[in-house]
Amino acid sequence: MPRDARKMPAILIAVAIFAMGAWSRNRREPRAPRAPRAAQQAPASQSGGAFNFVSPLPNGEWTEPAGDLANTRYSPLNQITNQNVKNMKMIAQLAIGIPHGFEGQPLVVNNTMYVVTPYPNDVIAYNLKELNGPIEWEYNPHPDPVAIGHACCDTVNRGAAYADGKIVFQSLDNTVIALDAKAGKEDWSTKTGSPDVGQTSTNAAIIVKGKVYVGNSGGELGVRGKLTCLDLATGKILWTAYSQGPDSDVLIGPNFHPFYKKDQGANLGESTWPKDQWKHGGGTIWGWISYDPETNLIFYGTGNPGVWNPDQRAGDNKWSCTIFARDADTGYARWAYQGEPHDEYDYDEIMENVLIDMNWKGRMRKLLIHPGRTGFVLVLDRETGELLSAQKFVDSTNWASGYDLQTGLPEYNPAKHTHQGVVTTDICPSSTGAKEFVPSAVSPRTGYMYIPAHNTCMDYEGLPANYIAGTPYLGANVKMYPGPGGYQGLFEAWDLKTEKPVWSIKDPLFPVYSGVLATAGDVVFYGTMEGWFRAVDARTGQILWQYKTPSGIVGDPITYTGPDGHQYVAIYSGIGGWMGAADFPDISLDDPTAALGITGAMQKIKQYTSPGANVFIFGL
Amino acid sequence: MRKLALLVVAILAITLSGRSQVQSTPAGSAPATNPGGYFPIGPVPGYGPTPAVKNATDPFINNPVALAAGRRLFVWYNCYGCHGGRGGGGMGPSLRDRTWIYGSTDADIYNSIAEGRGKGMPAWGLKIPQDQIWQLVAYIKSMRTPQEPDKP
Repeated sequence: MPRDARKMPAILIAVAIFAMGAWSRNRREPRAPRAPRAAQQAPASQSGGAFNFVSPLPNGEWTEPAGDLANTRYSPLNQITNQNVKNMKMIAQLAIGIPHGFEGQPLVVNNTMYVVTPYPNDVIAYNLKELNGPIEWEYNPHPDPVAIGHACCDTVNRGAAYADGKIVFQSLDNTVIALDAKAGKEDWSTKTGSPDVGQTSTNAAIIVKGKVYVGNSGGELGVRGKLTCLDLATGKILWTAYSQGPDSDVLIGPNFHPFYKKDQGANLGESTWPKDQWKHGGGTIWGWISYDPETNLIFYGTGNPGVWNPDQRAGDNKWSCTIFARDADTGYARWAYQGEPHDEYDYDEIMENVLIDMNWKGRMRKLLIHPGRTGFVLVLDRETGELLSAQKFVDSTNWASGYDLQTGLPEYNPAKHTHQGVVTTDICPSSTGAKEFVPSAVSPRTGYMYIPAHNTCMDYEGLPANYIAGTPYLGANVKMYPGPGGYQGLFEAWDLKTEKPVWSIKDPLFPVYSGVLATAGDVVFYGTMEGWFRAVDARTGQILWQYKTPSGIVGDPITYTGPDGHQYVAIYSGIGGWMGAADFPDISLDDPTAALGITGAMQKIKQYTSPGANVFIFGL
Repeated sequence: MRKLALLVVAILAITLSGRSQVQSTPAGSAPATNPGGYFPIGPVPGYGPTPAVKNATDPFINNPVALAAGRRLFVWYNCYGCHGGRGGGGMGPSLRDRTWIYGSTDADIYNSIAEGRGKGMPAWGLKIPQDQIWQLVAYIKSMRTPQEPDKP
């Protein structure tokens, strides 16, 4: 559809809805003028109650993918509360017109909302002062279309970051692009890879002290994972840290001190693989990156090892499925913890690493909380990489019973190992995880982590695979289906102190594939794959309000203060991504191995929602 | 206009030589960029008969040995990684449904495999023998039929 044509309905709807919203708001008493923007940034050391924050919170604006750099996705805004959220109304629906997975979240800076679309990765700047007026600008990067067919799990993008007047994001064809936030003009663009050989990029950049950090995608196409650091001012690549290969490529030097023996030694990124297999070893970085200002460390996890067939890669396959702590300036690794050596299930460890300081068994500690695809919430000391705890957050998890805290290794279930030519059945969770990449949130007011979880299981068979550049390097037959109990979605409040679920909302039909936002109003927001956007009481789990958006929700909610001083909440609606792709017309549900095995779990999706992307804004 | 005339001449030439050219051209001696011969995908402009080659048929259709070979190649060349274990789609479109983005004739499907397509489909024409491409075409066309080997 021509862009102009597809915008018209958007504009009309926005006009109508905004007019209604404005009318109702104008009838209320005027509020006090809002504080100057500079004063809105909360202090870094804010003591919150159950835990302390380590990075400034997103107060009014939303400038990094997770709002803050510590990935808490907690907002101190409190105009919308568990008492009044029932009155929340839709303020605007902005149609994007691209029927693909609308992952990630918008940014809000200086009364402008910035949206990065799925491929072709257009960036649209909406004027929040005049949502029914013209857009401020739109930028079209025109990425290489070869990337479309080489993106494993739909042509998604997980968002942009803002600093120093620049919007920075990655287009699907491995181009990092910085735009002038005011004018929408390209400031610089830097290529970091080629889609011809299977490299793509979907991860959201983060920006810290004049440096941009981006990861890559392509773990199903024999790509070598890497984190790239660029200069925010010029776009010059400052360093690249690979996920495998010799220590010089991984940026492992004398300051590398992994806590566990299994992670210690020279050139493990090469020696824990059969000869040269590491060159196609996956370990891509398509999830979330965090930063701790006090230790100046960045944290991120790496994806599955290259080729899903474990028998083709004897060894630990370092540094796949690993959490890395790196010096933010030099890129050199401080520690690494491989949560799952020699992955047999495609359990990428790219999930968010939430950084908080908390009283842990009687002593204040600097923690990294990692709710993983594996079905375990890993709690690590982020200074040392020591695993302090690993508790199951989805009951059906059966590939391992727990973790040995002395060795840092999972305690495997011998019946669930996978091999070439063997169909291992009823492995829980499925490759899509007890939780996907969709990020959780934490609230210091409750001490809970809000986890968007799945109860999906699978059969897994390793297949011999040939590496042919530019084609998938998969090597597995996977079939997923709903787990025990039949339900698939689980939205769970996890008590960080007792390490137990407090309450949960089960979704009988589909996994929860949206991110979470927690707020100081004791309201938690998330969406479902049918398209419901929900506000939930942070303490009790009661659904206080919900709104049916036209397409499934696979994006992450954000909140901000609008130009009128009122609090708003925004969410993308647009089904897609790995599991959501089952809703697309070019996927046949009668093939249980289609789309890397998700169709068996998603048989009913076409009855409940259709593709189509919209940005929704809600307010009181 | 000149290009169009050339195109028509080329189509006629292929039409006259017919299917046999497609089958008998050894992989090594064909023009490097177009080893399978030229097949129109879109409608042919102007009046006149539809070139027969557009309807060139796969010699292996319904041949059980060739279907099994096509199935094996579908896994061997990693087709299943994009198009689904049984062709139901994923990174690439479903091959089991009735939608054919680049044409549904045997020749159209042959060409999609040989030439590749702009959204990431690799061009296999210079990499694998023509017979193997026809075996893949035969397997793809057998999907959702009683002849489909290794059904889902």
